[in-house]
Amino acid sequence: MFPKRTFRLTLLVAFVFSFQIAYALTEDEKNNIDLYQALAPGVVNITSTVVEHDFFFNVIPRQGTGSGAIIDQRGYILTNNHVIEDAHKLEVTLSTGKKYTAKLIGSDPDTDLAVVKIDVPKEKLTVIPFGLSGNLKVGQKSIAIGNPFGLGQTLTTGVISSIGRTMRSSTGSLVEDIIQTDASINPGNSGGPLIDSSGHLIGITTAIFSPTGASVGIGFAIPVDTAKRVVNDLIEKGYYSYPYLGATLMNLFPDIASALKLPVTSGALVVDVTPRGPADRAGLRGGNRRAQIGNNIVIVGGDVVVSVNGKPVQDADAAIREVRKLRPGDKIELGIVRWDGSKGTITVTLGEKPRDVRAKQP
Amino acid sequence: MFKSAALNIQNCPRPYRSALVFFILCLGFTATVFALTSIENNTIAAYEKVAPSVVNITTMDCDPEFFWCATPAESGSGSGVVLRADGLIVTNNHVISNAKKITVALSDGRRLDAHVLASAVADDFAVLKVDPGEKTLRAISLGNSDKLRIGERVLAVGNPFGLGQTLTAGIVSMTNRTVKDGGKIMRDLIQTDAPINPGNSGGALINSEGELIGICTAILSPTGSSIRIGFAIPVNRMKEVVPGLINPWPRIIGWGVAALLLALFLKRIYRRPEATSPGAL
Repeated sequence: MFPKRTFRLTLLVAFVFSFQIAYALTEDEKNNIDLYQALAPGVVNITSTVVEHDFFFNVIPRQGTGSGAIIDQRGYILTNNHVIEDAHKLEVTLSTGKKYTAKLIGSDPDTDLAVVKIDVPKEKLTVIPFGLSGNLKVGQKSIAIGNPFGLGQTLTTGVISSIGRTMRSSTGSLVEDIIQTDASINPGNSGGPLIDSSGHLIGITTAIFSPTGASVGIGFAIPVDTAKRVVNDLIEKGYYSYPYLGATLMNLFPDIASALKLPVTSGALVVDVTPRGPADRAGLRGGNRRAQIGNNIVIVGGDVVVSVNGKPVQDADAAIREVRKLRPGDKIELGIVRWDGSKGTITVTLGEKPRDVRAKQP
Repeated sequence: MFKSAALNIQNCPRPYRSALVFFILCLGFTATVFALTSIENNTIAAYEKVAPSVVNITTMDCDPEFFWCATPAESGSGSGVVLRADGLIVTNNHVISNAKKITVALSDGRRLDAHVLASAVADDFAVLKVDPGEKTLRAISLGNSDKLRIGERVLAVGNPFGLGQTLTAGIVSMTNRTVKDGGKIMRDLIQTDAPINPGNSGGALINSEGELIGICTAILSPTGSSIRIGFAIPVNRMKEVVPGLINPWPRIIGWGVAALLLALFLKRIYRRPEATSPGAL
C-alpha cells in the first residue's frame, strides 16, 4: 500500500498525540497528583476521646479529630500535642479506612509536638520522609494533607507565604522559624504534614490565624527541623529534655541600668538562681534585694548576662534562645557584668530541665 | 541514533571519563536537592522581584474618647507599593483616611514616617511620601492590566492582619467586575481567588512576571476575612489617576485654559451691542 517509512512515521505521530491527549495535565497538576498518590497513605486521621465529667460526675466523652504523619516504619506517627492532649483513648484511621488503637509515646508541649504509635506490620505503612525546612523559599509550593472538620482525608495546596515567623505555644514558649502558607488549613488539619513539591515533610500544620475559626488563607506549620530535633527524644524517653540553666532572667532596660549605674545598657538581669542548680554551682549570682526604680520594683544585686558563648545578647529572650540551641551536659560560656561593674565569664554545665510529673497513658 | 549523543562515556578519553561521571552525579544531586517545578521557580522569582517594593503601613488615629489626642493609638494596618525610588508610595485611601500618624515599614526592616501627598477618594487611591535617605527604595515595575485573562496566575503581596509581609497565590477569577460598597460603586475591578484579608489593602497584585497589575482594595465576605473573593483596582486605572495626584499642575493649567477659551467664546456670543452702532433710540 503505502511505503513502510510513512507508516512508521504515522504510527510515531499517533503515539505522540495519544500521549498528549491522555495526559493533558500541566506539570503542576501532575506533581500534585503524584504526591497525593504517593504520600496520602502516610497521613492518618487521629480521633481522641477525652472523658469529662459533668456536675453530677456523669461521664461525658468528648471527641476531637486531628491528623498525623507516619514517620517511621515501626509505626511512629508525628502529630500535634494539642491533638492528643488529655486523651483517654486515641484511635488512628489509616487512609485505607482501617482503625487502630494508638499508644502515646511522648509529647512536648513547648513545641506542640507529640508521637503516637500503632502496631501495624511495616509493609502496610507508608512513611513520609523528612525534608529540610532551613532552605525553604517564599513562593514555593506547599501541600497539606489532613482531616479538616473530621471530613476525611483532604488535599489542599498553596504557596509558602512567609518563613521565619515566631509563635507562642500553649505553654508560652517561643517556637521559631514558623512556616506560613496559604494552603487551606482548618480545624482538624492539626498535626498533619506540610509537604514540598519533591514529597518531603517540611512542617507540621499546627495553627491558623482567623477571626472566624476557619481558613482565611493564613495557616502556620512547625518547621520540620524543629521536629527532627525533638522526635528522637520523644521516641526514646517520652519527653524532650531541654537544657537547664537554673536561673530566672529578666530584660535589663536602659533606665534600670542607668539607675543601677551599670556599665551596660542591655542584657539579661539575673533575678534569681535555683539553689544547687547548674548556674548556682558555676557561681552565677542572683538578686538579693528589692529596689524601686521608676514605678517598678526590681530585684537587684544579681549579675547581668551580656553574652552567651561569645554572642552578645540584648535581652532575656535572646539569652534563652541561645541556651535552647544546646543540649543538657553541654558547657556554656556566659559573659557577665557583676553588680559592682566588674566584668567576667562563667562556664556553666547545663543540666536537664526538671519536668512536671505527668501521668503517662498506659 | 543515540550513539551521537554528547554524553557518550565509552568514547570519552580516559582522563575525562571520571570527570564526566562526577559531573553527571553532581547534576543528579542538584536535581534532587532543588527539585522545584517550573511554576514554583517562577513564583519564587516573581516574589523576590517585588518583595522590596511592597511596604507595610501602620496608622495611628485618635481615640474618640479622648479629647486632646495626646497618645494616638495604633489603629490600622495596610500595605503599599513603591512607585518611585525617591519615596513615593501608592496605597488605598481607606488605609490612611483619618490617620493622624502614618508609619511605613520597608521589607529591609526600616521604619519611616510618611505623610499624605494627595488622595483620590472616588478611586480610593492615596499617594504617600517618605524620606528614604541615601538608601533609596526599589520601585515596582508596572504591567498592563488590559491584557489580563481570566484564569491567569496572580500573586498578592501584602500585610494581612498586620502579621508582616505575606505572599498568597491564586488566579484571575474575573475582570471588569463592578462592586457596590455601601453607597460607593467601584468599576472595572479585577476579581481574584488569592486570599486577600484586612491589611492587604493597598498591597500589590502581581502577575507571574512580577509586574504590578492591580492594587488589592476590597473583599466580598460575610465574615470580614477572606473567602477567596478579593478585588483589586487595575493598574491601568492607577496609571490614569496617580500622575495627576503627584503633579496636579498640568490638569489645573488645562482646566484653566479651557475655562479661558470658554469665557472668550461666551464673550463673543453675548457681545454687548457696540455703543457706536446706529440703532433705535
